[in-house]
Amino acid sequence: MKTDFKKNKLQIFTFIVLGAIPLFVDSYYLDNISYFMCWTFISLGLAVIWGMGGILSFGQTAFFGLAGYGFSVISINFLGVAGVSLWSIVLALLLTGIFGLIVGYFLFYGGIYDVFVGIVTLAITLVLETFMQQTAGPEYTIGTARLNGFNGMQGMPTIGFENIPFGLVEGVTQYYFILILSIIVLISLYKFKNSRMGLIFLASKEDRERVSSLGHNVQKVQLIAFTIASVLAGISGILYTNWGGYITPDSMGLVSAALPVVYVAASGKKDFFSVFIGCIFFVWLSQTLAINGKQFAIIVMGLILVIATRFFPDGIILMLKNKLIEKVKWLQS
Amino acid sequence: MVFLFNIFYQFGDSLAFLLLAAIGLAVIFGMMKIINLAHGEFITVGAYGTVVSGKVFNLPLPIAMAFGVLVTIIFGLILEKFIIRYLYGRPLDSVVATWGISLIVSQSFLVIFGPSYEGLQTPMGNFQLGEFSYSEYRIFLIFSALFLLMLLYYLFMKTSFGTLARATIENPSISSSMGVDVKNIYTATFAIGAGLAGVTGALYAPTMTIVPSIGQAFIVSAFITVVTAGASPFVGLVPAAAFLGTVQTTVTFFYKSTIGLIAILCAVILIIRYLPNGFSGLILKKRSK
Repeated sequence: MKTDFKKNKLQIFTFIVLGAIPLFVDSYYLDNISYFMCWTFISLGLAVIWGMGGILSFGQTAFFGLAGYGFSVISINFLGVAGVSLWSIVLALLLTGIFGLIVGYFLFYGGIYDVFVGIVTLAITLVLETFMQQTAGPEYTIGTARLNGFNGMQGMPTIGFENIPFGLVEGVTQYYFILILSIIVLISLYKFKNSRMGLIFLASKEDRERVSSLGHNVQKVQLIAFTIASVLAGISGILYTNWGGYITPDSMGLVSAALPVVYVAASGKKDFFSVFIGCIFFVWLSQTLAINGKQFAIIVMGLILVIATRFFPDGIILMLKNKLIEKVKWLQS
Repeated sequence: MVFLFNIFYQFGDSLAFLLLAAIGLAVIFGMMKIINLAHGEFITVGAYGTVVSGKVFNLPLPIAMAFGVLVTIIFGLILEKFIIRYLYGRPLDSVVATWGISLIVSQSFLVIFGPSYEGLQTPMGNFQLGEFSYSEYRIFLIFSALFLLMLLYYLFMKTSFGTLARATIENPSISSSMGVDVKNIYTATFAIGAGLAGVTGALYAPTMTIVPSIGQAFIVSAFITVVTAGASPFVGLVPAAAFLGTVQTTVTFFYKSTIGLIAILCAVILIIRYLPNGFSGLILKKRSK
């Protein structure tokens, strides 16, 4: 426990600061920060499969959207049933996980690798987007939930317990809910990275055939990692749906599909903590630029991405983190 | 007869679109393995180059088109020199950089030229067959697509530059030790890819509404066609586009165009799974037997 503390001073310090934020900011800005943190799970999932295993997926938003839509359809159908918002989450994540398992089985047991994984996953997410866009008509209704085409779905219940004070996942509760969830996810991912399976997965990035000729079942490990990533993307999707109270087909489009890839690459795909911080930072940055920079916002964002890959191939946030630890003696173990 | 021609016309239109969308990307992604998410913006540059020069300097269309292509080539050369050059061998990082480039370009066009630009008139006339009217320019596009592809095949498969380019990209260090100027070959190949995307933009400029996001219409079709074409894009591009065009036209004919898009995306997924080397793999295998 003590060595854990010594090794992770920066991480622990960061989370203490994040935990204290609600004391200093107003509720509008707190909701904003919750929104930034919604995106960390999908990015962390991508960091698992891309940063560790070298598998680039453009389809994380497919799982994001599927979980969001799944959660909406289930919870709207059972509106009023006790605890519906909670077990709808479980069912939606189960659905996302099963879909991830099927896609992953198709990919890895079908011998699809490298850039083709990116194309297949992109195709899947575009199929879902295109399908959802044309569901405006009344014939596309699941139970009592209409899919609503371009406009997306609304009217799902807020997650949580209505009769307990601070029981609903909104405002301060939402912030701490997401923060604690992200701490749990980060710790689990570090555990996964250092587990036997995680090491096999890491090694498979360098040389798939050598690892499998050493007797490890590479495909199984890749499939498990891919499923974990899909569930993480699903968590983001549900949190996003809960945050805004809506889900639209746009969340699965080409632009949305590229965003997590961009966040992860610009932050530093090999380090989960950098991805977590970087994701919050870049979502904040794109929002701030959009408000203040008007039409130049997107140009600035593009420049940052180009400069990041050109000069900091390992990611800006990871580089800053290493610099910080190097400079500040107290942070070193 | 008219019915048959109608189907041929729809199919040809879809074939030309897929081929022209893919042709520049076949060089940059198919050969050079750069995942160029800015491919659509190369097409945008070609289209704006054509339309703006046509409007501002009152140039005749063919010269305006040549100007558009020239602008795209220069644009490609600059990008290669300052950014892309550092991304060879890092295909997954190229995603982020080219995504950034695409944001910069499309947004800059929005800032400079506004949300839409007055387009050019579609050249050539229409001809009548039965009760339907067809655009001659669309027929011209089909033949230009096939001609460009033949030119590309000749350039990369039959000339000494093509051999050098393929050898360099296959193994840069050995080529370099044989005395090939690797850097220049890469630059030239990239510029050719950019130029071809510019041709696509120039050819489609008179047929579309000129908006900054014009390139977005091409990018998905471009990637799926190149992937379906497989490892040797110049051999596989025509059968790939013909196959995808057939699927799209047929499904669109019976259902609607969104279902047609879904159908070709599903077709691509199945092709990657069951024909990992694409159509070119199939053809080259048959040939070697």
